[in-house]
Amino acid sequence: MHVGPIKGFQGMTDSELLIETMDKRVQRRDERREFFKAAFGVGAFAVGGAAALSFSAKADAQTALTDADILNFALNLEYLEAQFYAYAANGTGLTAAQQTGTGTQGAVQIGTGATQARRVAFTDAAVAAYAREIAADEIAHVNFLRTALGTAAVAAPAINIAGGAGSAFAAAATAAGIAGGSTFDPYSSDDAFLLGAFIFEDVGVTAYKGASPLIQSKVFLEAAAGILAVEAYHAAIVRTTLYARGVATPALRTNADAISNARDTLDGTSDLDQGISPLTRTGATTLESNIVPLDGNGIAFSRTPGQVLNIVYLNRAAVTMGGFFPAGVNGTLRASAAN
Amino acid sequence: MKDQQTVLEIIEKTQARRTERRAFMRAAAGATAMVGGLSLLAACGNDDDDTPTPTPTPTPTPTATSASVDVQVLNFALQLEYLEAQFYSYAAFGVGLPAASLTGIGNAGSVQTGTGAGFPRAVDFSGDPVIGQYAREIAYDEIAHVNFLRTALGSAAAAQPAINISGDTAGAFTAAARAAGVVGATATFDPYSSPNNFLLGAYIFEDVGVTAYKGASPLITNATFLEAAAGILAAEAYHAGLVRTIIYNRGITMASLITSAQQISDARDSLDGTSDLDQGVGGTNIGVLATGVSNIVPTDNNAIAFSRTPQQVLNIVYLNRASVTSGGFFPAGVNGSFTASGAN
Repeated sequence: MHVGPIKGFQGMTDSELLIETMDKRVQRRDERREFFKAAFGVGAFAVGGAAALSFSAKADAQTALTDADILNFALNLEYLEAQFYAYAANGTGLTAAQQTGTGTQGAVQIGTGATQARRVAFTDAAVAAYAREIAADEIAHVNFLRTALGTAAVAAPAINIAGGAGSAFAAAATAAGIAGGSTFDPYSSDDAFLLGAFIFEDVGVTAYKGASPLIQSKVFLEAAAGILAVEAYHAAIVRTTLYARGVATPALRTNADAISNARDTLDGTSDLDQGISPLTRTGATTLESNIVPLDGNGIAFSRTPGQVLNIVYLNRAAVTMGGFFPAGVNGTLRASAAN
Repeated sequence: MKDQQTVLEIIEKTQARRTERRAFMRAAAGATAMVGGLSLLAACGNDDDDTPTPTPTPTPTPTATSASVDVQVLNFALQLEYLEAQFYSYAAFGVGLPAASLTGIGNAGSVQTGTGAGFPRAVDFSGDPVIGQYAREIAYDEIAHVNFLRTALGSAAAAQPAINISGDTAGAFTAAARAAGVVGATATFDPYSSPNNFLLGAYIFEDVGVTAYKGASPLITNATFLEAAAGILAAEAYHAGLVRTIIYNRGITMASLITSAQQISDARDSLDGTSDLDQGVGGTNIGVLATGVSNIVPTDNNAIAFSRTPQQVLNIVYLNRASVTSGGFFPAGVNGSFTASGAN
């Protein structure tokens, strides 16, 4: 169904009309304010100096979040995912030119010695093929968001994707209570790689979904919906593979459950996460898998930026750095929620 | 200058960004053939402006409102969910949805059933219990989607139309498989006959739901519905990722599965027009440890999932590349405002 030109705008294509609409549109102030409160109001946001000044200026402006703020938040997460998968699949990370931008650029911390970030010595051709595919997708997401943001794109902050003792991955595995978690090395085997990937994957889905109603540009909204879909496909690859391999190696399922529980503890009291172990629904007599983490309506969960940062900072308090981002993320959205 | 204003300026005012947006918009609009006046309404409808924004009068649908756009989109989604829920429910449990879950506006129809091979029935997963566990999970999810959309739409919900999910000689699955070349021109394809056939049957639908929800996302005006639709989109992508992962993994030792999936993708791509909106799972160097790259996720070069318009989605479920109002899995068409497939 295609509707013809709109009165008063004859001669313009639909695309031009839509662009005009976006360019001229007054901000959705009320909705933005509401999110502003949700994103920032919950935390004490007790930081001084320039950050506080910046926050104050934003409050005065009453403009809250722009699409650029939201896309930049997503870009921080994509930097993290891209670096992890690129090292695991290819043994190298993003190029220097793919990491520049506004804010404080940091280095990717790959660690040293036997457990440093490196190409996984895959033994399962399917898992290796998945890793290469996901790495290429995440690198493409970084490039896409950087292009969409242009000069507004934030730089890649410091990112810790090392394996082994003292690494963010080990801290996450320890928080989850996984056996041997304090030395967890996601590059050490096919299974370890899958569990490392599991730490991130569903989080990206919930982050994009939570941001979806805040994006003002319909063009960016549809693009974000397309990235959300891709993250959900990725999460399904990882969860399905862990589930299937869990038939022979039950610890894979219970470890994934433990990571899910850790995420759920970090992000507050609401239940926004599910493991993969099979369950029997009330009234049913047969097992079903739990590849897809959904609410009772069959709908995926949402996380606010603050909740997402709780997970990647590995801290349930309101902080501005930690875990996989030792110096915090760049951009407007940088404080985790107080849970 | 305040940070926010700086960013706003960059986004809203610079010529470079504007040019880029135009290019992006053309690409997006070209790919999805966005619904002209309706999409403009959608873009305007959610502005919490302090002063009323004059609403351009769309032609030739002057009565369209933002609310009705949402109803139209959600009802279209509901038609697809009826189809998916019935297929998975029969495959997993051997029964369809209860009658009370199928009522509503429009022409109510039923699932065409029968007895014996080809007709909707429970798949025997006893030799492949993990696939049975996936089937039950997806079935519950799709039933939940039907119930959620019906509740959200309330009295505006459209009824389930007639549905053909049979794999007999006159079945829509057989027609789809013949068109794709998965089976010969006179052979049948019964998705209930084995776990692997069930996976291929599921594959016919799964990515289509993802592209349908993504294509509809910018049309939805209500932020609550939008977020819900994004959540269903995610669920469909998880489902599709599940099915595609299993097909790829099994296909390393059973190449016919990957071949069949590619044929189904090619058939969908042929039905929905000239743009390339579909991909198989094989990728490159299948099964080669050192160099194999799977293609579980069908995406464009930016690693963004594809969009389909309602018309393109109907081309696929009607199994017809022409502009028609019924056929294939919906022998009497769908209920609601989007009923005609595209002319491709």
